Amino acid sequence: MSANTSFLEVRGLTRRFGGLTAVNNVDLDLAEGEFLSIIGPNGAGKTTLFNLMTGHDDPDGGTVTFMGRDITRLSPERLAALGIARTFQHGRVFANLSVMDNVLVGAHVRFKAVRPAWPFPLNLLGPVAEVALALIRPPSVVAEEQRMREEALKILSRFGDRLLPRLDNPTYSLSYANRRRVEIGRALALGPKLLLLDEPTAGMNQTETAEMQALIGDLKKSGLTILLIEHKLDMVMQLSDRVVVMDNGTVIANGKPAEVRNDPAVIEAYLGHRRADRPEASVPEAAQ
Amino acid sequence: MSSWIDYTINGIIIGNIYALLAVGLALIFGVSRLINFAHGSVYVVGAYAGFVAVTQLGTPLPLTIVIVVAVGALLGLGIERFGLRPLQGYAHIAPLLATIGLSFVLDQLVQLTFSPDPRALPSELLERRFQVGSGTIGALDILIAAVGIGSAALLYYFLRFTRLGWAIRATAQDRDAAQQMGVDVNAVNRAVFAIASALGAVSGLLVGMYYNYIDPAMSFQATLKGVVAQVVGGVGNVPGAIAGSMLLGIVESYGIALFGTSYRNLFAFILLVLVLVLRPNGLFASRRQTPPEPMTGTFIAPSKPIQISYPVLIGIAVVMALLPLVLPNPYVLQTLTNAWLYGLLGLSLTLIAGTVGLISLGHAALLAIGGYASALLSLDLGMPVGASILLAGVIAAAIGTILVFPSFRLRGHYFSIATLAIGEIVSLVILNWESVTRGPIGVAGIPPLSIFGFELDTDRSIYWFALAVLVILAALQFRLLGSHLGRTLRAMRDDDIAARSYGIGLDRYKALAFSVGSFAAGVSGGITSHLYSYINHETFNSQLSILALTIVILGGMGNVTGAILGSVLLVGLPEVFRVAAEYRVLIYGLVLLLLVRFRPQGLLGTI
Amino acid sequence: MLAHRRLVLTAAALLALPFAPAGAQTAPAKGEPIYLGVSGPLTGPNAQYGAQWKQGFDLALDEINGAGGIKGRPLAYIFEDTQSDPRQSVAVAQKFVADKRIVAELGDFASPASMAASPIYQRAKLVQFGFTNSHPDFTKGGDYMWSNSVSQADEQPLSAAFAVKRLGMKRIAVLHLNTDWGRTSKDIFVKAAKEYGAEVVATEGYLPDEKDFRSTIVRVRDAKPDGIMLISYYSDAALIARQLQQAGLKLPTVAASSVYSPKLIELGGDAVEGLFTASRYFPDDPRPQVRNFVDKFKAKYGKEPDAFNAYAYDTMILMAQVMRESGIDRQAIHDGLAKVKDVPSVIFGKATFDPKTRRVSGAVSVDLVVKGGKFTIYQGGAVVH
Repeated sequence: MSANTSFLEVRGLTRRFGGLTAVNNVDLDLAEGEFLSIIGPNGAGKTTLFNLMTGHDDPDGGTVTFMGRDITRLSPERLAALGIARTFQHGRVFANLSVMDNVLVGAHVRFKAVRPAWPFPLNLLGPVAEVALALIRPPSVVAEEQRMREEALKILSRFGDRLLPRLDNPTYSLSYANRRRVEIGRALALGPKLLLLDEPTAGMNQTETAEMQALIGDLKKSGLTILLIEHKLDMVMQLSDRVVVMDNGTVIANGKPAEVRNDPAVIEAYLGHRRADRPEASVPEAAQ
Repeated sequence: MSSWIDYTINGIIIGNIYALLAVGLALIFGVSRLINFAHGSVYVVGAYAGFVAVTQLGTPLPLTIVIVVAVGALLGLGIERFGLRPLQGYAHIAPLLATIGLSFVLDQLVQLTFSPDPRALPSELLERRFQVGSGTIGALDILIAAVGIGSAALLYYFLRFTRLGWAIRATAQDRDAAQQMGVDVNAVNRAVFAIASALGAVSGLLVGMYYNYIDPAMSFQATLKGVVAQVVGGVGNVPGAIAGSMLLGIVESYGIALFGTSYRNLFAFILLVLVLVLRPNGLFASRRQTPPEPMTGTFIAPSKPIQISYPVLIGIAVVMALLPLVLPNPYVLQTLTNAWLYGLLGLSLTLIAGTVGLISLGHAALLAIGGYASALLSLDLGMPVGASILLAGVIAAAIGTILVFPSFRLRGHYFSIATLAIGEIVSLVILNWESVTRGPIGVAGIPPLSIFGFELDTDRSIYWFALAVLVILAALQFRLLGSHLGRTLRAMRDDDIAARSYGIGLDRYKALAFSVGSFAAGVSGGITSHLYSYINHETFNSQLSILALTIVILGGMGNVTGAILGSVLLVGLPEVFRVAAEYRVLIYGLVLLLLVRFRPQGLLGTI
Repeated sequence: MLAHRRLVLTAAALLALPFAPAGAQTAPAKGEPIYLGVSGPLTGPNAQYGAQWKQGFDLALDEINGAGGIKGRPLAYIFEDTQSDPRQSVAVAQKFVADKRIVAELGDFASPASMAASPIYQRAKLVQFGFTNSHPDFTKGGDYMWSNSVSQADEQPLSAAFAVKRLGMKRIAVLHLNTDWGRTSKDIFVKAAKEYGAEVVATEGYLPDEKDFRSTIVRVRDAKPDGIMLISYYSDAALIARQLQQAGLKLPTVAASSVYSPKLIELGGDAVEGLFTASRYFPDDPRPQVRNFVDKFKAKYGKEPDAFNAYAYDTMILMAQVMRESGIDRQAIHDGLAKVKDVPSVIFGKATFDPKTRRVSGAVSVDLVVKGGKFTIYQGGAVVH
């Protein structure tokens, strides 16, 4: 894979927590339309890597380039606007919002009629304009909202009748699996160019996992570029174009699923040791 | 030069006193993640327990201290048992409110028992003094310092080297994990409240002796200064609380030295805001001393709001509009007019605290800004009253948002403390900026309400005007919440990290919501100033901020109808309780406690 | 805000007559009471003042009703607690206005609470008698706003004259409550002191809930004053005096008459020894109405009365006199206040209103000094130079 075809390019990415290097000089390339999985034992640094790529954490070194643009240290909201969507390891839905509203929040960056893109001096009035448009609701705004709702329904119908009957229920009332589905629906509503899924089937039973796998397979077929963290190896092997294996913050293997499966370093990493207590995500305390 | 030595010594002496309060607050925050607003009341109870011991029983100082420690510890156990333990698992705001309710009840009980008159609390130690610099230091100063440092040292030993101390530290670091490891978290809480309250009570005694002066009203200032000191030092950090107290004392003292006495608290609160914004974990905290605030939206209790359909709401509004024709009782109309004006404040705070989750404890400052803006615009610039009120809303929105903007990065309690400080700063600026605000004299002769040149000079017309403004702004808020902004703001509140991942810029939307909310508060303040014809810096005081929060929680966070219902009840109930005279505040505090206990999501539920 | 807090003594007081009109030894009053509305603090931070009012009112009512009341009917009051909060004082105002039994209103305590309610009383043509409201703008709220609280324009020049002329102060440091009352008083005092030829070397305004004055005292000391003026209330004055003593700053100190209270000595101890102040009366005052008030007060409550007791007492006596002379409806009381002359008074000796300002004026004070733990008349001339 050559650099000029690289859709997402990670070079030398490093993150230290005190004396511990959670992500150590990681390189990663992803081509448009590719399905890449990252596997590795707990504490290998997978989620930290995700956090660094999506702006939730700042690297101590290295760069991330997306579609030819340096996105290192960009804020999550900027990355969302660039078309990068992610789900979270432990599932983060907006608990008091309905299923429909959760998905519509996913589409936030695509609402253009309520947020006119004005040039410099005027854009300071952006928030005022947004309030005014939300209150006045000219036809363009109403139409946009309508269009997004229809699209959200289409996205939710991907999950069969799991979510459609519960459109107006707050998500805290949903089952765990349904909350994970809402999260994926929300990510799709962003219209992502790159989708990062962090253990989307964690905590799901076999049937639910199979359903989710089928859905992710469909997404792959539709041509979406996907980066997946997952522990369920069967699923990884079936879906992935390529697999990256991490351990101790470094990439120890990178290749087609079949190659990786038989890599002795990988087997060593999975069976050789168990060290589980390593910080993954880090959110500083009072401030972010 | 020698004066600076004196200023420094004086700063340390007063810092000493703050430290006694801050250590207890820090201990409780460290373990329970709770700013204990009842701490000042424990301090008052301690002072009065000492007063009874000294004047009625004639106890010597060591025995007095033992008695006060016992009373404080028992009170702490009581607060923990009845005020806080039942609230485990509730949203974080519930215990905070419970401590506010408890402080009302305790202060009022002390006042009813001992009368509101200040009392002398004599001490035999006071007469011994030593020359230091050009002033003197008394034996009591040394005792206060010894108690402060001694209790901190004891606490250090206790936390490091005893089983219960380990349990407390473990609980402070990770409550759930500690519980799973077999730590009896309730026992830990009891111990912490007993120790902290004993310390709080002793500080009341010593400070009372120091000034030879105690009164029941000294509780709020004590809490306020203690909170400032411990936040400056690092919330939940005991040695930090002591260092923060000293720093606070010195900054206040230097503030007096440089600018004069009336700038003292201004410096204290500016220090607090600066620390919060620049080093939110305190000046003396190591970076990861304080565990993070909840990762997801547990600050707001999930609940099913009670749905009231629009036709019903419109029906109620029509009934309210017709009321003056059926019931022309000016007292009832005035009370309801007050309720409508509070309702505007409620709308404002329910949007900011409820919908966005920014629990503001300084909301009265927005009323003050609006009130002064409209009064001064109409009085000094001759602007017509209707226009001045509208512009007052805009000014409150602009100034309020600019002042609070740097604090948007703070979470949970930190934001609340920042707004508390900003509220005090606004009040002190109004007091000191005489060329514009007329300082302590206040603004008199504010023209009466009028609209398009028609003076509103009957009770009815004022009632209708306030109701109309409320209905219009409530309708706009409903419409706002029904738009994409409603879900955007609530998404931020529920999970700000996920919200950012979907392109929601937090500062932008917090500022947007804060401005919209501040507009309603500014309008309310503006109308009020014309209604009163006279305002000064105390017209919109910090009690009003607490009341605003109570209104919002009573109605249900984020709930527009709830905010109005809450204000009708909280304005109405004290009027109903008039018959209870002196017991009124006591009843109010009890109602607040029961509400938090049995309906934490508010009457109409969180939206 | 705390608008009141001072008393001054009129020279005329010494000539005044006892209260009860001659031949008033009639039977106790009977029948439907006449009501005054009282709007003031019974709870909240100012609750102590409301409690003091009640004692003063009750003592006066014992006297009035024991002597036949007003034209045979007993006088009574309805006290509504406002916490001295403007939001509540306006509601109470509406309540009083609507209650036809109420013929006049007394209070509120703090200026924001009183003046917020003024438009309502003015519209309803019910007299608002703000007997502790010395805010210069209070009686400007309308012709139904009256007050017998003496304006600071009368008291402060007397304090200045005392400090400069009698005590010989040349360089004065002023500490004042940073409230509407304290601020107004300070301005008047400073102006008068300068006119008398003294220099004001420092002015320090402090907040009402301030307890620590150590650093303020360093600032005052550095200004090298030869005397200190306290525009304070007794609780702050006691705190300041103690801390002056602790700082070793021994200077002649004059305090506004608002510190006149037994509490000053209780709280200040030996630190207030030698403190100068002024009052309109003092317990050993030979004036008959003062003797009558002080003795009856001690008999009823077992303690010395203080300023607010006296204000409340005087006010009730005054209202009774107005009603006896002019009638017992709202308008009659409004008109009567302008007409009433030389009402015997503890505070004023004789009280007469200036119908233009709707205030009582022309006060002279008796100068006191704390000596041996008691307020005594100051006889001396200059103490220091």
